[in-house]
Amino acid sequence: MTRRPSYDPAAGPNGRSPKRSKKGKNHSANGSSRFYGMPLPGVRTEDLSGSLIVVEGTDGSGRSTQISLLTEWLEGEGFAVETMGLRRSFLVGEDIDGLLAENAVTRTTLALMYSTDFFDQLERRILPALRSGLIVLADRYIFTLIARAAVRGIGRDYLHGIYDIALRPDLTFWLNVRPEVAFDREFKKSQTISYWESGRDMSLSNDLFQSFIRYQSMIKREFEYLSKRHSFIELDGEANVSKVNGLLRKRIASQLGIQSTKYEPSHALAHLWR
Amino acid sequence: MATVTADISIAPQSAPERVAAAKRPYPGALVVVEGIDGSGKSTQLYLLKRWLEIGGYRIHFTEWNSSPLVKSATRRGKQRRLLTPTTFSLLHAADFADRCERQILPLLHGGYLVLADRYVYTAFARDAARGCSPHWLRNLYSFAPVPDITFYFRAPLDVAVNRIVAGRPKLKYYEAGMDLAISLDRAESFRIFQEKILTHYDQMVETDHFVLMDGTVRVNKLQKLMRQLLGERVDLKQFAPKKK
Repeated sequence: MTRRPSYDPAAGPNGRSPKRSKKGKNHSANGSSRFYGMPLPGVRTEDLSGSLIVVEGTDGSGRSTQISLLTEWLEGEGFAVETMGLRRSFLVGEDIDGLLAENAVTRTTLALMYSTDFFDQLERRILPALRSGLIVLADRYIFTLIARAAVRGIGRDYLHGIYDIALRPDLTFWLNVRPEVAFDREFKKSQTISYWESGRDMSLSNDLFQSFIRYQSMIKREFEYLSKRHSFIELDGEANVSKVNGLLRKRIASQLGIQSTKYEPSHALAHLWR
Repeated sequence: MATVTADISIAPQSAPERVAAAKRPYPGALVVVEGIDGSGKSTQLYLLKRWLEIGGYRIHFTEWNSSPLVKSATRRGKQRRLLTPTTFSLLHAADFADRCERQILPLLHGGYLVLADRYVYTAFARDAARGCSPHWLRNLYSFAPVPDITFYFRAPLDVAVNRIVAGRPKLKYYEAGMDLAISLDRAESFRIFQEKILTHYDQMVETDHFVLMDGTVRVNKLQKLMRQLLGERVDLKQFAPKKK
């Protein structure tokens, strides 16, 4: 029998199943704890010298902006950076775009296509980058995928079971914003609200605003649970960009042993600095 | 979905009682054939299907890896050899989920006798042979309804392998398990890969209540037995044409 993962996937959001010691977070002592459970087939954890830093948060939380700024800062400090995100795999990224556009896909299929997309990036792009000592900035990670599927009624234990073989991040930031604020920001940006970001497939409301708020509130509840379970570093995503970025830099600098956290965006990124 | 998820258990040793006691949440029935390539399973299921079709039964036939949904991704992955054991497995699971949610489950709820050429056990055996954890695989497919009967066609490895190798000009890369780097010779790699798969299948005979079928028995004789066993396990009257 395979050993159980080091966190209990059977626990629901209100589950109070016994938690193992927090030792798992310090992966330096034990190579295998860089994974949640069984490592991916064929991966030697001691080969992974880079760092994996995850930024999670809903659309409108400022996630992508922060990742652009962090990339520039880290490159300025001499670190090579690789990024990953949703639907960016060569294998199925475009196929998922197609499925979303068609809007005829069922929930389990979509969840599994996203997990294929995730593991294709992880195995063929991210693990090689980490072997080469790069800093990987993940624009969302397994947590968004788990939350989205869970609010659609797919079992949390099932989802945790799939992502059990994923790499455990060194740091996970959660840019937390209220759904109302996310709505304002998204609307300002695109003059509309996307079908999927408002959970329209779930028939929550015919009113797009109501649907968006209800859906994002459900997602947020999943994140509150995930945040505790996986020790997220929660940041106020409603604060201004430079302040959030300062907090991110401080925490990352201490993780990577960077002395100075001074940073001014270049001319190219100055428009993001508000 | 919750009504059918618990059946294919993550813990195989606890499955037998549960399967036996399972009250299906649908009026249909699911008949599955499994076995390595060349074991004769597809021929036998085809004959079973013909028999039921001719009799006017309410049936539907489905086969592994036939959904158009992930075809382009599978093709891309296979042509360029991008698939790892994990993504190979996930892509097939996505494909199966599509078939399960849009075809198999609605048909079972609609009272059909569903005939499946290969089912989740194919993934359990093949992906485990590729190095995926059996525990992980059981969880991955836990949304699949448990078959009413699973015929496991078993032929000696040499017989099965010879049937395939003789009938095919060239074995495909993944089919031959070349991604496992067992051997540079495709035929040899195929043979060793099939042997691993066979071992995993054999382990499921008890845990998953396979009905063992001897693939070396004459085709018509084996078919007769298959029809008899099906009748014992599944109430075929339920699917028979209604008399007016």
